[in-house]
Amino acid sequence: MDQTDSTHVKVTSQRLQSVIEALSYASVDEFDSCLELLQRSTEKDEFSELETAFVIFVSELGAAKAELNRALAQQEAINRELEAKLETIEMQQAAIRELSTPIIEVWAGVLCLPVVGVVDSQRSAEMTETLLETIVAKQARMAIVDITGIDVMDTKTADHFIKMARAVRLLGAECIVSGINPGIAQTLTHIGVDLTGVRTLRSLRDALQLYLRETEQLVVQQHATIARSKVPEV
Amino acid sequence: MLPEPLEPPAMRRAEFPIRLRVDVVVASSQAGRLARGYGLDRKRAAELSIVVSELASNIVKHGVLGEIVLTLHSPRGEITVEARDVGPPIRDLEVAMTDGCDDQGPIDPALILGRGGLGTGLGAVARFADRVEYREEREGKTITAWFLPQRRRSPAAAFRD
Repeated sequence: MDQTDSTHVKVTSQRLQSVIEALSYASVDEFDSCLELLQRSTEKDEFSELETAFVIFVSELGAAKAELNRALAQQEAINRELEAKLETIEMQQAAIRELSTPIIEVWAGVLCLPVVGVVDSQRSAEMTETLLETIVAKQARMAIVDITGIDVMDTKTADHFIKMARAVRLLGAECIVSGINPGIAQTLTHIGVDLTGVRTLRSLRDALQLYLRETEQLVVQQHATIARSKVPEV
Repeated sequence: MLPEPLEPPAMRRAEFPIRLRVDVVVASSQAGRLARGYGLDRKRAAELSIVVSELASNIVKHGVLGEIVLTLHSPRGEITVEARDVGPPIRDLEVAMTDGCDDQGPIDPALILGRGGLGTGLGAVARFADRVEYREEREGKTITAWFLPQRRRSPAAAFRD
């Protein structure tokens, strides 16, 4: 090969072909095959400098590409994990909604315990505990336990519910159970629980109306007393 | 020509790891939903939910760590609820199944409050499931509750439909 001519470099078409082939490997991300081809030539001339430049260029490109792919894969894994976590959180939130049994003071001295979801023996025991404590703490006069959201209850759990209602009476408050469905009504009569002293009403609305009717009489009496003691303003 | 036999559906199965109280509720509500898909009616699925809830509560209380496995067995369509845990075996199954008792005997009524349960859990499982099996293993124990596709229905239920 003539290396004295400064304006021309003579290269065998085989070497040129090999570089073209190598670069076409690089274009489809086959960096290892590309580098192997580029480094095959052992000659030292000007063209080999170009080959060396390509080797550096391609190996850096290969490294960058690999780094990018790693980062993408990592990101994907993180995304998947995040999605799984979100799903778990969603499921747990739904579960917590079902689990928690809020006790709401719907009116001065009136507590309401809406029960939804699955009632098992443990939850029924926990509800009793919370309800009795809240009645004392809030000095409530009435507790309405609404079980409209309950389809099925075990006989012993149902029995315990009625016992809870009795315990409320012992604390000096009244307990109304509302929203008993036909299935649970059958369960209760089947086990023959004593329902005396436990008021049952069809719905939460009925229970509240009953309370208002009863307190209205009280309020009318109080107003009458006040009216007697002072002249009402117009 | 004879009709093509129906391909029996693949066995379906769902596992719920149980460790915390919230896992109990997740397992119970998800299992109830799945059981509806496996062919149980609304009432029966609600009963299965209660069974899962009772068994999973027991795992949290006594079993340390465990899982609930819900399986639909083809082709007959039986559903099993398996409760596995690594806790100690039940000391006396007969007693533990009795309402108002744990595995050591009757629970003092004064201690019911604050105990987190009435001692009627296994009783409820037995009342709702068609069959219950108890097995002790090398490490831990498994309770399996069976729900058969066509349970003998009460006359009242027949009347209702």
